[in-house]
Amino acid sequence: MILRIQHRTHFVYDAPAYESHNELRLAPVDGPGQRCLAFGVSTAPASAIIEYADAFGNRVHAVSIHPPHDALAILAEAVVERTAAAPPARTRDVTFAEFLAEDDARSQEYQEFLTPSRYVPFSDRLRRFFWQARPRPTEGVGEYAARAVAYVRDQFEYEPGSTDVHSTIEDLLTSGGGVCQDFAHLTIGLLRLAGIPTRYVSGYLAPVSTAPGNPPPEQATHAWVEALLPGSTWTGFDPTHRGPTRPEHVRIGIGRDYADVPPLRGVYRSHGTTQTMGVDVRIEPLAAWTGGVPGEQ
Amino acid sequence: MLRRIAHHLFWTARHLERAEWRARLVDVHYHLLVESPPRATEPWTPLLAITGEADAFAERYIAADERSVLDFFTFDEANPSSIRSCIYAARENARALRHRISSELWLELNTLHLDAHGWSPAMLEQDGVFGFFADLRDRFYRIAGIVDGTLPRDLGYEFLTIGELLERNENVARLLDVKYHYLLPRPEDVGGPIDLLQWAAVLRSASALEAYRRAYGNAIAVDRVVELLLFDPTFPRSARFCVDQLGAALRRIAAWNAAGPVSRAPATDPLTAMLTIPAGSDVIRHGLHDFLLAVQDECARIETAVFDDYLRFE
Amino acid sequence: MGPWAIPRSSNDQVMLDSAAYETNGYYDEMFAPGLVPRPGCTRVIADLVNLPGARLTELRTRADRMFLRMGVTFNVYGGEAGAERVFPFDPIPRVIDAETWVHIEAGLVQRIRALNAFLTDVYGAGEILRDGIVPRDLIAGSPQFRHAAVGLRPPGGVFITVAGIDLVRGGDGRFYVLEDNVRTPSGVSYVIENRVVMTRLVPDLIRGCAVRSVENYPADLLASLREIAPGNTSRPRIALLTPGPHNSAFFEHVFLSQQMGVELVEGQDLVCVDHALYMRTVHGLERIDVLYRRIDDDFLDPVVFRPDSLLGVAGLMAAVRAGSVAIANMVGTGIADDKAVFAYTPAIIRYYLGEEPILPIVETHLLRDPDVRRMVLRDLDRYVVKPTGASGGYGVVIGPKATYRELAETREHIERDPRAFIAQPVVSLSVHPTLVGGGTHGAPAFAPRHVDLRPFVLFGATPRVLPGGLTRVALREGSLIVNSSQGGGSKDTWVLA
Repeated sequence: MILRIQHRTHFVYDAPAYESHNELRLAPVDGPGQRCLAFGVSTAPASAIIEYADAFGNRVHAVSIHPPHDALAILAEAVVERTAAAPPARTRDVTFAEFLAEDDARSQEYQEFLTPSRYVPFSDRLRRFFWQARPRPTEGVGEYAARAVAYVRDQFEYEPGSTDVHSTIEDLLTSGGGVCQDFAHLTIGLLRLAGIPTRYVSGYLAPVSTAPGNPPPEQATHAWVEALLPGSTWTGFDPTHRGPTRPEHVRIGIGRDYADVPPLRGVYRSHGTTQTMGVDVRIEPLAAWTGGVPGEQ
Repeated sequence: MLRRIAHHLFWTARHLERAEWRARLVDVHYHLLVESPPRATEPWTPLLAITGEADAFAERYIAADERSVLDFFTFDEANPSSIRSCIYAARENARALRHRISSELWLELNTLHLDAHGWSPAMLEQDGVFGFFADLRDRFYRIAGIVDGTLPRDLGYEFLTIGELLERNENVARLLDVKYHYLLPRPEDVGGPIDLLQWAAVLRSASALEAYRRAYGNAIAVDRVVELLLFDPTFPRSARFCVDQLGAALRRIAAWNAAGPVSRAPATDPLTAMLTIPAGSDVIRHGLHDFLLAVQDECARIETAVFDDYLRFE
Repeated sequence: MGPWAIPRSSNDQVMLDSAAYETNGYYDEMFAPGLVPRPGCTRVIADLVNLPGARLTELRTRADRMFLRMGVTFNVYGGEAGAERVFPFDPIPRVIDAETWVHIEAGLVQRIRALNAFLTDVYGAGEILRDGIVPRDLIAGSPQFRHAAVGLRPPGGVFITVAGIDLVRGGDGRFYVLEDNVRTPSGVSYVIENRVVMTRLVPDLIRGCAVRSVENYPADLLASLREIAPGNTSRPRIALLTPGPHNSAFFEHVFLSQQMGVELVEGQDLVCVDHALYMRTVHGLERIDVLYRRIDDDFLDPVVFRPDSLLGVAGLMAAVRAGSVAIANMVGTGIADDKAVFAYTPAIIRYYLGEEPILPIVETHLLRDPDVRRMVLRDLDRYVVKPTGASGGYGVVIGPKATYRELAETREHIERDPRAFIAQPVVSLSVHPTLVGGGTHGAPAFAPRHVDLRPFVLFGATPRVLPGGLTRVALREGSLIVNSSQGGGSKDTWVLA
């Protein structure tokens, strides 16, 4: 399917902001089952924008606005083609007993996705949580991964407001509720402690169907995980929805955790103290795409 | 020249000038009181009026007696404009400039700072006032000499000049205003011995008494004092002299611009025009107080322009 | 006894008394066994070492006064008052003959070439990791590996423009590399000021010995910085970024900026506009092409690194990505002086240059290997244990000097997190006759004190090595610690032409 994604971010400042420097990670990457056919980003006020690839291959746009402004609007538009993932080639699920034999080699190659990171510290609480759901030696790795994903979702409420964008897994584990970002982080913790390289994915979840002619419902960015299962490639799981990823999952980028792939990160100067942020994401299917960069507003 | 450096140069000079000015005021006022017959009203309040600090003083001191006022003016660290506070602030600004000013200047400022650290009110007791302020006056003259003798006349020097002259200009206007407006004697006292003593004190604060006598003779007349201190283009502490130098400095700063001189009328032009008036008596007749307020407003406007054009970096 | 007569004791003569001067088997830089002068040292011994004690003490006092007047001080950390002290100076220079220096210089050039190639690779294709020469997780797991530098190609592939490489001479008389410093190495201002002072104290001796000059360093540094400028600017504009007067090396920042004639800036003076770097001057924004930064990566750009940093400038990394400004040293060089990576530097030299290392490194044991770990822990008091980049918060532990409890704690730390440490055998640092006593400290005498050497290597379009470097001397008897903050001092270093 072809999806058109419009991601608007809006800031209002209580006193004019100036010397604003930001990094955007809003451009979907190409990958298995996904091709970004077009992408454009524009800002109001206008800004100098450069693009580069970061250490994880994510597409980054550096946006810089020098003169004072009361508000900042960023519009990112993408046209993405998603195809269903090819079925995995492996015939049987490797057991943990076999899996751990290769632990050394994996810990060298995938160090970054097996060790604690800023939002996923290997705390005592996490270890206890892991212990409750720990894999059995005869259990298949893929089987465990699916089980861990469901386990995380079953233990916690989807509760916007219990945590915020800076919350680590500790906050989720203590508050009992969180959002997709938190579930993703906790799942990463469980899988990493089991020795499975796992990474954080930032992206969108397209609505299952939008009747043509209806305006697309409001969305937001979404977070899930990818685990490197033995004999396979990076396999997507969505902890918030208790299952594997589907063609409706559009990947923007990956990292060790949220810190590596925030949709927007930056600093600005101002004599004021507050900024109000609003985000509006619209995703709609396109019957076809005839080319050209998405229009700017 | 980095804005931050120019900023520190400006403030170093401004704080030093303020400290020196305060020292002059206190010194002269002290001697004025010594030489005057005793008065019924508080003799030290005019000093607070000149600097506009009566309210700040009242917040923490009970009576405007000699000891309290001297303390407030000279030593009080809670008063940001006390002589000690100004010296601290000057040295603090100079510290950021340490590698750009001469070592002699830094040494002098640092030593003055250390000495100010060690000041105590006891130093002013038992006829200590005279010696204390005489010493201080010498220190300021020495600093001026070191600045004059060791600093290259570069862009940075212009900002030192501007800080000093803006402060001086404001203070002359304030001094005149307070004597004229606040200390208005009763009609029968005008021209009387107390009135004349006070005008002589005003002239002494600006080191202008001898210059006055050379120009106008022994008799002190208000309009001539105003003429000397506001309009005389040759006397180094007159407002007119200050604004002329300020304008020249601003023109030189504009000329230093490597991209080409910016053709813009210096912010000092209106004030220069105001101070190019032939007769002090005219101004008095039309309202000296309002005129002096306008001069002070102009100084504030010039400072804002200088900041906007050259100094603002945050 | 040596070949010249050394007067016996008398109250006002300092003597290099063969009976009193005992090197305890350490390699002495100035004297072979039996007080035989080493190559190049004869004149220094005759004209300086053999001076009467009072004269030597006077030279040292004059030197201290000169340093104080010149403002060559350092800020001792701890305390708002920031006590400024003169870095203790010993007037007997350390001499390196020309032939020895050729060897050292070649080894240093080889090292900086290899490390630059390593960084380009590690932040680019990663071939040395793919080929398994250096473990990938060693790099990925180090906080010194800066993700922000991945994919960045600095102009000319130069990551390291300024390096300070610490060398020690072992008991066998060979020079060994103790550690590399390729982030913000400091100390070169002392090298230059030491020479200024010695030139005033003993001008004839310096001339007579044909000592190679160090005064060109600022010009060479400036040339190197110009050579890494992006684009085609004929006259690149350069600035030196300092954290400010409270930094212990501030004197050096001022010194170098003045010597090179470049602006000394702090973070607040800089701003990025449309992905180019400018400084805020009185007359408007002025473009900067090369930023010589003396602040750590962590504080360089609040957008990418620590967001609370006021020392750097927001958007600087984007400007580097845009190719509009070069920074020296480049972001991420810390992975090349990570202590764990150090152990692989001989392999790194072989891999990129296809050459055998000219300068050996001090034996460095990675404690992640269980056999190695066992060996080290068995004799922990014979090793120096250093934290790798991955450790965060631990200090260096010198085995023979540590208390029983310190050793026990170190053992525990190592067991808990072996990847966080490396161990090096204690090197018998060479010694050098150093003036002790004199003045208020009793009769002056010469005593052997441990020294090391930090040469400075520049790399712009080509490598340039400063002849000599900073010889640091541990002033306390038996001490191996040459840091300024812990009782170290310095000597002038004379490389003979």
